[in-house]
Amino acid sequence: MKVDDFLGQSGEWLKGSGPESDVVISSRVRLARNLHRFPFLTIAPPSERTQVEQFVRERFDELLAPRKIQYFPLARMSQLDRTLLVERHLISREHAQGEGDRGVAIAQDESTSIMVNEEDHLRLQVLRSGLNLEEAWESLDRLDTLLEQHMNFAFHPRFGYLTCCPTNVGTGLRISVMVHLPAAVFSKQMEKVLQSLQRVNYTVRGLYGEGTSPIGDMYQISNQVTLGKTEKDIIVELRRVIPEVLKFERSWRHKLIDDRPRMLEDKVWRAYAILKHARSISSEETIELLSALRLGVNLNIVHGVPIETVNELFIFTQPSHLQKIEKKMLEPDERDVVRAEFVRKKLPSL
Amino acid sequence: MICEKCSKNHATVHVTEVVNGVKKEAHLCDECAGKAGVGIKFTLSVSDILGGLLEPKPAGKKTEGVAQLRCPECGMTYTQFKEKARLGCANDYEVFRAGLVPLLEKIHQSTQHCGKTPHNADSQTRKENELVKLKRELDSLVKSENFERAAEVRDRIRTLETDLDKGVE
Repeated sequence: MKVDDFLGQSGEWLKGSGPESDVVISSRVRLARNLHRFPFLTIAPPSERTQVEQFVRERFDELLAPRKIQYFPLARMSQLDRTLLVERHLISREHAQGEGDRGVAIAQDESTSIMVNEEDHLRLQVLRSGLNLEEAWESLDRLDTLLEQHMNFAFHPRFGYLTCCPTNVGTGLRISVMVHLPAAVFSKQMEKVLQSLQRVNYTVRGLYGEGTSPIGDMYQISNQVTLGKTEKDIIVELRRVIPEVLKFERSWRHKLIDDRPRMLEDKVWRAYAILKHARSISSEETIELLSALRLGVNLNIVHGVPIETVNELFIFTQPSHLQKIEKKMLEPDERDVVRAEFVRKKLPSL
Repeated sequence: MICEKCSKNHATVHVTEVVNGVKKEAHLCDECAGKAGVGIKFTLSVSDILGGLLEPKPAGKKTEGVAQLRCPECGMTYTQFKEKARLGCANDYEVFRAGLVPLLEKIHQSTQHCGKTPHNADSQTRKENELVKLKRELDSLVKSENFERAAEVRDRIRTLETDLDKGVE
């Protein structure tokens, strides 16, 4: 499989088929692991990175190939290919922009990926459509146990799995639930959501993780605490918090329908009209309009646009995807034209 | 939208900053944003946060001398750790223990792992981990007044503690 092959498919997690998918886009679980007897990457010279990659790859080839998980050496890939993987949520921005030998193993259906030599030696992640934490965790736990039988991870009886940054130590488990909160944003209620989540130790970030601003009313809610709780505790607690967020968003959606139905319909249909007919459109405007359209589809204002198409458009209209589809580098204004054309083609006529 | 700074390129970076309740917006192209260090200025990095947690430390007896610590394996000093907010190797967790324990307490409100244990960990580690889990279970059983089950868990804790004392494999 080549990076270009990703263009012919979309990740399993974008299907919009999982539980609570009117609000929850995806569930992501990840584990941070470091190899026993190798220094952490903070101070590792380039040769150590090479050794870690080699050590891991030898085992990956044997363990992961039969599971259709393929390794991509990022250091030997173009920047465009690396950014494409960021846009698909398979690697972090930091990993794409990093230096030295590093890579990522990716499952064919994009539900699983393992970053090698990111901040920690290994970052294992499983993505699922909708709110699907238990299944995602079970799959991740199995993968971790499989790897653990063939390599020793740095572990301490008191501090648990040892990580480069003390914010990840212990379980090394970070769960992120990506939610779409257009009604809460529109009704200017996000401050409340953010504050109450922070008060109970949850972080809220934008679409592409750490340091990114919220766009398209998409937010990632994740646990901050990784030590002193079992993996199950972390899941159960998030399982209690997320429904509150869903309830909140849905009640504001219904309030919009009840109080301002014309305004809501107008906002949704205008979004569709611009997306369906624009000749040049920025990435930012596309995402904002897709957000309104997604709300319209979920509230049955618009019929005939599959939610999967809307979810896919969020990803495929990103700069690297467009340039890969066009097979050439494009200036921002050229991208805007290509983007508009792509969206017009993908959106069904109603 | 055109970049506010060079008035030439397309603005691709849009930032909002709220200072003392006053909202400021800026629309810049990639190049100007990079030059202005905008990406850095408008986000709070983990090291900023950790640095903040590490800084205001009372000159207590326990933490005296922590700054001078250096890991014999990776060579990292505690001062370097404070700057980078990243550790250099697994051994740092032992070497910097005195400084790390209060930090972990602040971040996680706990300093004792009770999650998964590697299947290939030695039996002592696995038993210790099991003990931590059982003690937590006992607490919650007592709280929920499930005394029958609590008594069973208490017995298992005693057996495990005896094993650990005797060093039984």
